Amino acid sequence: MLRKTLLVFFGFYMMTLQSSTRVEAIRWLAMANMNSVITVQQPSLCDELVGLVKRQKTICKRNIEVMESVKLGAKLAIDECQYQFRNRRWNCSTIDAVRLFGNVLKLGTREASFVHALSSAGVAIAVTRACSSGEIDKCGCDRTVRGRSPEGFEWSGCSDNIAYGTAFSKTFVDARERRRKNKKKYGRALMNLHNNEAGRRAVEDHMKVECKCHGVSGSCELKTCWRAMSSYREVGERIKEKFDGATEVKLQNTKSGQKLVLVNPRLKLHTDADLVYLVASPDFCEPDDKIGSFGTYGRVCNKTSKAIDGCDLMCCGRGYETRRKTVAERCMCKFHWCCYVICKTCEKTIEEHTCK
Amino acid sequence: MAGVVLENLSWKKLIILGVFLLLLLLTFFLIGGLIAPAPSNVIYITGTKCIANRTHLDHDKWFIPRGHNEMCDQIWSFDDERVEKEIITASQIVFSFWIPHPKEGGQLKMYRWFQTLLGVLTLDIKYDPKNPVTDKAKLQLDARIGYRGADDDPKDWKLLAQSLEERQLDCAMDEAIEGYHYKCDILQLFELGSVHYDYYLVNIRLPTFDNSDVNAGIGVLEDLHLVVIHQNGGFTKVWLSMKTVLFPMILALLIWYWRRITQLERPPSLLEKTLFVLGIALSLLNLPMEWLTCWLYLPFMLLVGDIRQGIFYAVLLSFWLIFAGEHLMDQVERNKLVMYWKHLSAVGFGCLCLFIFEICERGIQLTDPFFSVWVTDVGANLALTFIVLAGVAACSYFLFLCYMIFKVFRNISAKKSALPQMSKARKKYYMGLIYRFRFLMALTLVCAALTVIFFIISQVSEGQWKWGDDGIHLEYTSAFFTGVYGMWNVYVFGLLCLYAPSHKVITVTEDTDQSQEETVQLTHIPSEASALASDSQPMETSALHPSEGSILQGFMSKQAAD
Repeated sequence: MLRKTLLVFFGFYMMTLQSSTRVEAIRWLAMANMNSVITVQQPSLCDELVGLVKRQKTICKRNIEVMESVKLGAKLAIDECQYQFRNRRWNCSTIDAVRLFGNVLKLGTREASFVHALSSAGVAIAVTRACSSGEIDKCGCDRTVRGRSPEGFEWSGCSDNIAYGTAFSKTFVDARERRRKNKKKYGRALMNLHNNEAGRRAVEDHMKVECKCHGVSGSCELKTCWRAMSSYREVGERIKEKFDGATEVKLQNTKSGQKLVLVNPRLKLHTDADLVYLVASPDFCEPDDKIGSFGTYGRVCNKTSKAIDGCDLMCCGRGYETRRKTVAERCMCKFHWCCYVICKTCEKTIEEHTCK
Repeated sequence: MAGVVLENLSWKKLIILGVFLLLLLLTFFLIGGLIAPAPSNVIYITGTKCIANRTHLDHDKWFIPRGHNEMCDQIWSFDDERVEKEIITASQIVFSFWIPHPKEGGQLKMYRWFQTLLGVLTLDIKYDPKNPVTDKAKLQLDARIGYRGADDDPKDWKLLAQSLEERQLDCAMDEAIEGYHYKCDILQLFELGSVHYDYYLVNIRLPTFDNSDVNAGIGVLEDLHLVVIHQNGGFTKVWLSMKTVLFPMILALLIWYWRRITQLERPPSLLEKTLFVLGIALSLLNLPMEWLTCWLYLPFMLLVGDIRQGIFYAVLLSFWLIFAGEHLMDQVERNKLVMYWKHLSAVGFGCLCLFIFEICERGIQLTDPFFSVWVTDVGANLALTFIVLAGVAACSYFLFLCYMIFKVFRNISAKKSALPQMSKARKKYYMGLIYRFRFLMALTLVCAALTVIFFIISQVSEGQWKWGDDGIHLEYTSAFFTGVYGMWNVYVFGLLCLYAPSHKVITVTEDTDQSQEETVQLTHIPSEASALASDSQPMETSALHPSEGSILQGFMSKQAAD
């Protein structure tokens, strides 16, 4: 039962990964679909997706062409999670295409909050980008500031795509939490909603505002500004900072209904942009399928570091083995802004430390 | 005693006129704030990465980002495994931008109401320690703009402009973290003075060559975004409606004003002529010739608009100078344009500098939309030189003006102390002069202050960009434009009304003793001798019509109280 609840949220990742069991093939898949935007428009595909709740399936059918971007957002989120956590004991690795991260996100831990924030940010970014490049024509145009003008684009232009991207992320990603009326998991639903929102806030709060002067003779009498997204890496880094400073909360009955409140009331109250979690994380030292831990046996560690990637902490005090290894890598490359032109292969011997 | 309408207007009438003009001004402000949308809007387009044929690179082909059959062969990102597999090179990549976006299920189209189109590029350059952006890296762009009508064949794009451009890259990095984007200055790409077609297509290549460093040091480019800034259709409509209403109003007033002047027995004075020219300059500015762009392709409209605005401000500045000069009260006969050559040359020189700059920037853009004087070092220095020269001219102008105003005020206080000894006619003449001057000073200062205040408000509100929906709010930037534009119209309107020669005076003088010496015209300064002569002459107290409740009397009594 518990496993089901968890997997539902990641239903979409499953769609990503189920399409092909090889992780490497995802990128290719995104590519293939991009080349044939029209053929992807098969709403029947939505029903085949494992894990989507009914409401999400409805959204999927109505916005089938946006789904490609949602998929991409999910892919971005997994990649970014693995990059950000590459040096931690839990390194965001996926078990397989269906179970994805396994049971680790079943509990309301910090890790779960991080993945939720990252995924809603990923969807927002991917949809925004798709709107900007004109890949999807579903994106909204309304100028919410003055209400919908009958003359629309001609009268006052369109709102920026970021508004649509975040709104879509909210509709789609939050859909399954909104469904949960089940009291038992209400706390978790609130936590997920909060963290989803925090992810989108990380995108919105780190927008670059750029301006251009274009008054008479190019003077600054008239200045127009717009918002541009930061790189997803930057957003991921911000969410990682929030992960480090996440707040522990618990569900409590208040006059205005059930709410998440601080476990330690002396701490600073969390804002909308902060991450919250319900239970403390396990130490991830030993493999334990119940909590989704792979253990750190055989993990590469840094001999000199005192931080979490250092061999002392990473190996949970079990010690490490050192091996000499010869690796081949690209070297002496000539690079032209997008692509490598010529490269040589160099062999290098390195020392690698792995946990016992 | 002849004078201007202002002197012979009762307080009541003056207040009514003032309130009317104030309401007019408020209306303009509210039209901009409540009806008009923001003056301009952006279309933010991320470039689609199309792939050209490996061997002949398809230099004459249009790469279209979307469409059933005409869509180009494209990749989503340079991390795509196709890049390595097919050994795609940088020269094969064509960034394609279709203006505008598809939205809400259909392809939008551009409207002629958009008036101008300004395209700037922003770059997403990823930080990679192995391939950093080098110092003073230059970006070479092979850019083409095409257009097509909504009903044309989807493949039938026609060339509008084509150019090989070079832009200086200015990128910085706050935190050197791999995967972060550099903070690069935006690059101007093109400017079109007319939005005549439904769709625009921009194709950009960043060519590379094996043995040259063209586009070599630009780092790892992930994406190219084209930010297209256009005037909002709604703003153009409101703006044009304003002009269409104002133009006949000012024109009618101008005709009335000129008829009054021609009815005078004497030739028009310099100040009257200047005021008339000011009215003409304003009418030229008001002339709603932008209507033509609805039917005709007029790419020079942007340039013409700037020039019209320049002419108006030049005449306004000259008017202030001449007005101050004609009220100096230092017994020097001026009334001729040549007397002001020193002062006016500052205005003329400044305007000439800006005009040359304008022709260099927007004039050349007529033939090459990609041109900008700022992109080359020589051009930028030259442009800066002209702007600095114009600034120097502006400074010297203001010094001249302030000096003249200072002299006027000095003379006013001197004359004021001498007033009680003067004959009534001379007294009245000087009082009128002083009053006229002070009134214009106050009016001008109020207008200038309001312009500055509006500008600050619009800039401040710009700084606090709110990107969500927060109910009804004022569109400050639009309100600034319509408000300031309306204000200078109201200003000139007021001047034409109040500083027109008064009819009443003529009848009054005819009623009295016809003393020509006493009939002091708007700017006519009697010679010392005649002034003395008039002092000795007996003076009719009824020069002012008692029933008029003259404003001048009110003014005089106020002076006495002071």
